[in-house]
Amino acid sequence: MIAHAPILAIVVPLFAAFLTPVVSIVAKRFGVERARDWFVVGAAILMLLIVASMVPAVWRGEVLVYKLGGWSPPWGINLAVDGLNLLVALIIASVVSLIAIYSVVYMERDNGLEKYYTLLMLVTAGCMGVTLTGDVFNLFVFFEIMSISSYALVAFRRNWDSVEAGIKYMIIGSLGTSFILLSIALMYGLVGSLNIADLAGKIATIKATQPLPMIVPLMLTLFVVGFGIKIAMVPLHAWLPDAYQAAPSAISALLSGATATVGVYAMLRVSYMLFGALAIGTMFIILGLVTMVVGGLMALVQRDLKRLLAYSSISQMGYILLGVGFGTAMGIQGGLFHLLNNAIYKVLLFMCAGAIVYRVGTSNLDELGGLGKNMPITATLFVVGALAISGVPPLNGFASKWTIYVAGMEAGQPICTAIAVVMSALTLAYFLKAINLMFLGQRPEHLREVKEAPPLMLFPMLMLAAFCVVFGILPGLGIDLVRPAQSAVMNQLGYIGSVMGAG
Amino acid sequence: MSLNYIIAMLLFTLGIYCLLFKRNIVKMVIGLQVLTNGLHLFLISLGYREGGIAPILAGEMLGRGATAEFAAAAVDPVPQALVLTSIVINVCTMALALSLAIYIYRHYGTLNPFQIRRLRG
Amino acid sequence: MEFGPGIWGPIVATAVMLLGVAIGYLLLSISRRYMVPKPSVEKLRTYACGEVLEPEEVHVESEQFYSPIRRVFKPFYRFVRPAHTGILSTYLLWVFVGFIMILIAIVVALR
Repeated sequence: MIAHAPILAIVVPLFAAFLTPVVSIVAKRFGVERARDWFVVGAAILMLLIVASMVPAVWRGEVLVYKLGGWSPPWGINLAVDGLNLLVALIIASVVSLIAIYSVVYMERDNGLEKYYTLLMLVTAGCMGVTLTGDVFNLFVFFEIMSISSYALVAFRRNWDSVEAGIKYMIIGSLGTSFILLSIALMYGLVGSLNIADLAGKIATIKATQPLPMIVPLMLTLFVVGFGIKIAMVPLHAWLPDAYQAAPSAISALLSGATATVGVYAMLRVSYMLFGALAIGTMFIILGLVTMVVGGLMALVQRDLKRLLAYSSISQMGYILLGVGFGTAMGIQGGLFHLLNNAIYKVLLFMCAGAIVYRVGTSNLDELGGLGKNMPITATLFVVGALAISGVPPLNGFASKWTIYVAGMEAGQPICTAIAVVMSALTLAYFLKAINLMFLGQRPEHLREVKEAPPLMLFPMLMLAAFCVVFGILPGLGIDLVRPAQSAVMNQLGYIGSVMGAG
Repeated sequence: MSLNYIIAMLLFTLGIYCLLFKRNIVKMVIGLQVLTNGLHLFLISLGYREGGIAPILAGEMLGRGATAEFAAAAVDPVPQALVLTSIVINVCTMALALSLAIYIYRHYGTLNPFQIRRLRG
Repeated sequence: MEFGPGIWGPIVATAVMLLGVAIGYLLLSISRRYMVPKPSVEKLRTYACGEVLEPEEVHVESEQFYSPIRRVFKPFYRFVRPAHTGILSTYLLWVFVGFIMILIAIVVALR
């Protein structure tokens, strides 16, 4: 492990964000404008290496506790990295590196790009901060950094749809984060501590007293609603289709791959480990089923490709909530494996959509058609992504969905499994509609000259498709990746002991 | 002391009313600010102690080495730090929201959310 | 992977699928040795009783693509789809409705 790895993983993107305007000015003076893009890509890959260096230590079972400023918990802020943290940090670091490489080509026609790269690195720093921290107010601050930078990135192009989507996302998101702040205030007033491990111990003692004080469900509700807005649980999902439709495709990929993953991680950490409330799993199952159904059925009737992918994202979040809500070892493994797979194939699908928008100029399904002959590689990768997300063997979506189905049967809820299987079939239905309307069929005259996407744009898509196939053929690899995370989620006492014991 | 908490929750409720029922984006942003002001008042009142002193250990108390007496009499400084951080975050949020409102007025000609609905379905 | 009632062997399954694709390709290439199909341009065009159709006319409209499924799930499409009005204030009302529902669910679950 690199020395001081947990704090370096947050500091590297933060410093890269502050240095990007400087690098941009220097690069423009020397005439090498691309240097700023490659600087950001280098920073993202460095962050990936730092996170990867923490892997051996954490998978041996120890919890890495890093005390900021030498102050021991619970009086100081500390970063605590266990299996769950590390899985999410790996997902975010890989997704951001690939999106940075993709943005080098995709955003080259826009101006004001130094602000884009600064905001991209700030979103990354915010995501890593939320993932690696062990202090609940630190989580709130980094959550706000991530959210505000993503509001600005959604409205980056300042068209009519970007601005409308940006203001809707912003007001709903700000309401969510003020709920989180209210809950933190209530928690501080109740127990007087802000450290996650310390709070877990103290709230466990409060929950043991009968009758339960009314304030504990209120605090948990405020947290669930605040994080639920970020992961787009129904009925808090209304901002998501507009934001994913109007944002630049690289940013849609970032939002669906990184910020949604971080939202699920925060929800799991607070509800299962801070409050120790495995009993609310039933609520997660019901909300997960509703989210799955609403997302899937709304996606069947969309006209716009990116809006269809957005409703599909909502549907996949329903699967993750369903898996996590079962509460058994297999259910949580299935949910977390589906989280990993969702990041992989959603980013791949949004990148393919971005390639089409880059070459054709529109993403309206009524104006596209017959592009399979013009863009064969993009079409193949989109088909791979579509088959993966629908759960067709032997790709990775099948492995994680199979785990969730079996978890449902073993937990004694066959109705959940039945609804999940039907929604899987409907997922394949709307993706076949997208493939048919875009790549097959007859090609209109104005699309005759469309060329294949540039090779630098194809490289991240090929890597993600390779991951889809690899995790599908070797699902044991995925389960091995996810098992430390799942044992960390169910091991609340171990977490408390490691963090408080290091003090 | 509970007067502070009542006023804070009243501000919170007024902010939520303003967010839900006003038909102007700028009024919604103002409602968001009123809401967060209520939260800040709530957080600061949590740390208050009757007849407490400011949490700065200096002067004659430092010379006497009377830290235990200081800790028993001082107001809690942690909520003050939390509120300062939150105020800075809110300044940033409000700046971004108002600039987005300017762009919306430029594109749509109106600030009524009931008429800013070209993205739907 | 072994799960309760069954076994999923992904490497074996992938090998069998690729074997199936290879057998299909083998049969196709054997048949091609006897005759290679060469249809004329007229045969390849979509048949429309002799008329010439533009690609824009043949394109299925994206909203009506799944009209049978829309008919099956009609209650959903009559109430939930128009509820996504696009008005920000409606969406904020949903957040509060969701808040109340989640509060009741958590109070019941934690009791």
